Amino acid sequence: MAQDDRRYFEEIEVGEEYLSPGRTVTETDIVVFAGLSGDYNVLHTDAEFMKTSIFGERIAHGLLGLAIQSGLLTRGMRPYATLAFLGLRWKFKGPIKIGDTIRVRAKVIEKRETSKKNRGIVTLQRQVLNQQDEVVQEGETDVMVERRGS
Amino acid sequence: MFYFEDVVVGEPLETPARTLTEADVVGYVGLTGEWDPLTTDEAFARHSEFGARVIPDLLPLCISSGLGWRVPQPPLVVRAFMGFEWKFFLPLKIGDTIRSRSRTVAKRSVKDGGVVVEEREILNQRGEIVQSGRLTLLVAKRPPA
Repeated sequence: MAQDDRRYFEEIEVGEEYLSPGRTVTETDIVVFAGLSGDYNVLHTDAEFMKTSIFGERIAHGLLGLAIQSGLLTRGMRPYATLAFLGLRWKFKGPIKIGDTIRVRAKVIEKRETSKKNRGIVTLQRQVLNQQDEVVQEGETDVMVERRGS
Repeated sequence: MFYFEDVVVGEPLETPARTLTEADVVGYVGLTGEWDPLTTDEAFARHSEFGARVIPDLLPLCISSGLGWRVPQPPLVVRAFMGFEWKFFLPLKIGDTIRSRSRTVAKRSVKDGGVVVEEREILNQRGEIVQSGRLTLLVAKRPPA
C-alpha cells in the first residue's frame, strides 16, 4: 500500500484553517448532476422559465454546490484518517449561477472524544464563497477520525 | 402543480427505488472531484472495515432529491432549498437499492411563499434506515386565479 499521509485525530488542532482552490461551475456540471441525481427541477433545467424568476437564469442545484465543495476541500488540505462521515448542518444562502467560481474556506471548530478510545469526532465549519467573496453556502460537518496507533 | 396550500403536514410519501451502480459512483466522483480511496480504490477499501468500495456519502442524498420527484403527486413548486440537517448511519455498497420516505413535519406562511420542513429517511433494500434528516424548503403559494 502507498505511504499513509493521512492525518490522525491527535494531530488535528482546533483552529486550523484550510482554503481550497477555486472551481468554475459550468452548465455541464448542472446538466450532468441533473442526469445523475434525477433532479430535473425547472430551477436547474428550464432556461426560459428561469428568465421570469427572481434569479433571472438557471441556478445550480444546492446539493451540487455541496458536493463540489466537498471535493474542492480535499484539494485544500491533507486528508484525515476518516472512519465515517457522521452528519452535517447546512444552509443555502444564495444562488450559484452558471459561470460562478466557488471555493471553500474551512476551520476546525471542535474535537470530541468518544466512548471508543481509538477514534474521535472532528467538526469543521465550512463556507462556500463565490468570486465576489459572498457566502453562498455554509455549515458544519462532523467526521469520525482514527487515532494513530489504534 | 402542487403549492404551499396543498402540502399536508404528516402525510407520508414513499418514492420508487433505485439501485446504486458503479457508473453512479464513477460519475459522481468525476463530477465532484472527491477521490476518497474508500470509494475509488478497491485494493484499499478491501482492507477497510467495509471490505469493499463504499458509495460516496452524499450521493444517496443527491439521488433521493431526484427520487422525490417520482411520487404519485404533482410536482411541488420549490422556489429555493434553504437548508438541512443530515445524519449518516450505515454505509452503502455498489448494488444496494435505495428508496426514500418523507413527510412534512411543519409548514408556515412567509411573505414570499411558504416554508416547508420535511423529514426524510433513505432506506436500503432490507428496510434499514441508512441516512436521515430534516430539509427546509421555500415553496410557492398558489397564484390567484
